Amino acid sequence: MPGYLVYLLTRLGQFALVVFIGINIAFIVTHATPIDPVEQSIAAATQFGSTSPEAIALMRQSLKELYGLEGDLAHQYAAFWSRILVGNFGPSLSAFPTPVSVLIGRALPWTVSLLVVSTVLTWVMGNLLGGLAGYFHRSRALRLAGILAMAFHPIPYYIVAFLLLIVFGHVWPILPISGGSSMNMTQEWSWAFVGSVVSHAILPVASLALVGLGGWFMGMRALVSNVVTEDYVTYAELGGVARRRILAAYVMRNALMPQVTGLAMSLGAIFNGAIITEQVFGYPGIGTLLVSAVHAGDYSLVLGITTVSIVAVSIAVLLIDLLYPLLDPRVRAR
Amino acid sequence: MRVWRDIALLMVLALGATGAQAQGTISDLPRKETLIVENPEGTIKNAGWFNIWAINAGGQSTGLHQLGMDTFWYIDPQRGVDGVWDNSLASEKPIYNADFTEMTVKLRKGIFWSDGVEFSSADVLFTIQTHMKTNGLRWSAPIQVNVADVAAPDDSTIVFKLKKPNSRFHALFTVRWNAMWMMPKHIFEKAGDPLKFAFDPPVTLGAYTLKSYDPNGKWFIWQKREDWKRTTVARFGEPGPKYVAYVDPGPPDKRVIAQLNHDLDIIHDVSPEGMFTLAKQSKSSHGWFAGFPYAHPDPTLPAVVFNTQNEMFKNRDVRWALALLIDIKAVSMASYRGAATISAIGVPPTGSAPEVYHAPLEAWLKDFEIDTGKSKVKPYDPMIGKQIADMLRPSMGEQIPTDANEIAKSFGRGWWKPNPKAAQELLERAGYAKRGDKWYMPDGKPFVIKLMVEGDGRPVMTRAGSMITQQWRQFGIDASTVVAQGSMADRRAAGDFEAMITWSVETWGGHPDLSFFLDSWHSQFVAAAGKPQPPRNWQRWSNAELDKIIEQVRQTGFDDPKGLELGREYVKLVVREMPTIPLMSYNVFTVMDDTYWTGYPNAATAPYTDPVPNWANTKYMMVRIKAKPQ
Repeated sequence: MPGYLVYLLTRLGQFALVVFIGINIAFIVTHATPIDPVEQSIAAATQFGSTSPEAIALMRQSLKELYGLEGDLAHQYAAFWSRILVGNFGPSLSAFPTPVSVLIGRALPWTVSLLVVSTVLTWVMGNLLGGLAGYFHRSRALRLAGILAMAFHPIPYYIVAFLLLIVFGHVWPILPISGGSSMNMTQEWSWAFVGSVVSHAILPVASLALVGLGGWFMGMRALVSNVVTEDYVTYAELGGVARRRILAAYVMRNALMPQVTGLAMSLGAIFNGAIITEQVFGYPGIGTLLVSAVHAGDYSLVLGITTVSIVAVSIAVLLIDLLYPLLDPRVRAR
Repeated sequence: MRVWRDIALLMVLALGATGAQAQGTISDLPRKETLIVENPEGTIKNAGWFNIWAINAGGQSTGLHQLGMDTFWYIDPQRGVDGVWDNSLASEKPIYNADFTEMTVKLRKGIFWSDGVEFSSADVLFTIQTHMKTNGLRWSAPIQVNVADVAAPDDSTIVFKLKKPNSRFHALFTVRWNAMWMMPKHIFEKAGDPLKFAFDPPVTLGAYTLKSYDPNGKWFIWQKREDWKRTTVARFGEPGPKYVAYVDPGPPDKRVIAQLNHDLDIIHDVSPEGMFTLAKQSKSSHGWFAGFPYAHPDPTLPAVVFNTQNEMFKNRDVRWALALLIDIKAVSMASYRGAATISAIGVPPTGSAPEVYHAPLEAWLKDFEIDTGKSKVKPYDPMIGKQIADMLRPSMGEQIPTDANEIAKSFGRGWWKPNPKAAQELLERAGYAKRGDKWYMPDGKPFVIKLMVEGDGRPVMTRAGSMITQQWRQFGIDASTVVAQGSMADRRAAGDFEAMITWSVETWGGHPDLSFFLDSWHSQFVAAAGKPQPPRNWQRWSNAELDKIIEQVRQTGFDDPKGLELGREYVKLVVREMPTIPLMSYNVFTVMDDTYWTGYPNAATAPYTDPVPNWANTKYMMVRIKAKPQ
């Protein structure tokens, strides 16, 4: 146990360092952008109207004061960390004065639920089918599943998504193609609302699953193909252990460890996938929020989202690191 | 096999369960009573914020400013329901004193807020005083710059005392897309800091009130007020739709799909290709023009804008030479696939402008001559609009008009005929020289032009920029495009560009007065190189003759015919000087589906307003749109 404690403390230290460096890089990148939130606000506020140049100059000065952008970079850096340490990202500059945390809190559940569901579903389906295909390698149905999974896997995500939109949104319009739920519906725990959310999630989840399934399928099939040649599997078969038990307890369990690591990494990185999926399907969430924040030069919001993303990915990696020795005796022994 | 059968069964059940909902995006509103409109702002990140007086804190064209807000006057970009000018909250036009230091507004009586409180001069007084004492509201700066004092002598009169003469002060309260909206005093006076008040639910002056909205900002639904007769628009009849939903339908391809499914009644804008698809595949989809070019020409003038503080473009001979190297027909085809309305002069060819500027100046343009030093050329070709129509006729057939007036309305009149010889002579007179295949500047350096374009955000203009640089390159100038993407507004304001495709000219549309943009072109506002330039003189051009015109406009009343003459003087001056190369109006492919609704505006029979639905002027559309008998 003392060995595990040292391991734990080391990993926690690494976690803190990664988060600190990641957030600092995000701060530098967002503040190095040529997009100035004040100019963006002025452009948006005056683009169609007739505002005199004297008024624009006054507006520029007022907005700088209002947004708290008057100090130098060092001053802003210190203010940023003093807020971050108490979990406050400050106000959004493109939705002033609404706090960044409120905007993230509103968008995050949509992204997390959509991508967690699709990632876990894809992982379970891919590994299950891949495991079966590796073990029952003569099954025609599983071979066909393998061909289909491999056929979809290399197709760029947005093409699959667009095809689904055309087929189920236009040719055979049975599924909603935009948004997270139907209009004029209160967000509450009712059958109507949940049903609407599920129906709106079918196409985004299907697009992610179709593209993602192949990777898990092929990985698991290869792993299982290796494991079935191990002596202990042959011994179990010769010993008359039921095939179902061999598959579940001897083959799949041993082949699963790398896939579990992959799942954790995928769950941590759901923010990357959110951007394209949400844009293509008009789905509300963190990706849509991030794109809008970047366009508006709202570095408070960009920093808030990036920080949440950095912490989420780092926590996912940390959890895997911490759980691995508990799950796999070989790692514990080392 | 059982597993596969079960999976198939589950899928069928899932699809069956969702199928009923999928056809309509509205859950429980009657489709026949609901007008569904695209909000081009997209997803509103701060959906529950309806305080439109706070800068960019929430959405504007979510229906909020079209259906909920009101102010003194509206100028229509087209002909208007009852003329271009409409006295909305005001009962008559602005009343100025002789030296334009005082403006009196008489208010309409019998107008009520949606919560039943009567609108009065107290609301106006409160709105103005709040902006005078609060920094950072959307209209704080223009009020603080202009207003010395404001008073309400009675319930229906407001008197502004101005800090200096301003014959266009009323423009602040005159809608052209938007204007300064009136605040409900009885709500805001209890709200505390007006910068931090969300105003949810909004109390409206318009004929609609907010019914519901998506907290994630995808949709906003407005419902017709039961007391709509107590709003300003009631003078023109009852608004047709009971509900109006403003939605974010996603990228252009999804807008097209949504309208093909009749789930989106008004598309704000799509690509030319999207428009052509709808025109071919949907009998119920229509644009502003019944046929090609479909799009509504907005009173905005995309142009090649030179940074005239850059040494390269200080000489007008160089600017003119570059204009004479552009083949506008190719630019029209590249940008709008031919669906552009071209303009050779510095006024967008839309609204009243073709009648008051383009047509009357046609003869002058035909006679206009450039002396290159070696030859004299008349650069204007009045037949280019017709030539574009002729080019398109083989592929678009009967959709292309044959009548000269219709062609002028749809495709514009003339433009500058490409003349590489004259361009060469002008460049040589400016000290530029061609050695081998390349042009060199007077200082011996290669003549390199980086033309900034916006990129994916504005693909049509980006394609125009690419075509123009290609034409300049063919002449031996090392020209290329630079894609600015999201940094466009910053770089434009900072003068961090050599030349760019943007617009520095926007007009009222329906009214010929040019001060809307022209006043900002006075040299007093031109920033020093490196300092931020206020809108809209992005070209940072100073000209004493122009200053004189602007100063005369400032002393002329808004409706004074002398303003027209001064406007034409401006046009002639910028033709001679070419500080920007005007290209075309900004054409917006607004597509209206008449499956459920009729009475939309159109160029031929109902040009009563601009159909582009993010304009606040579209409040007038609601009284003309009627349910289509099913």
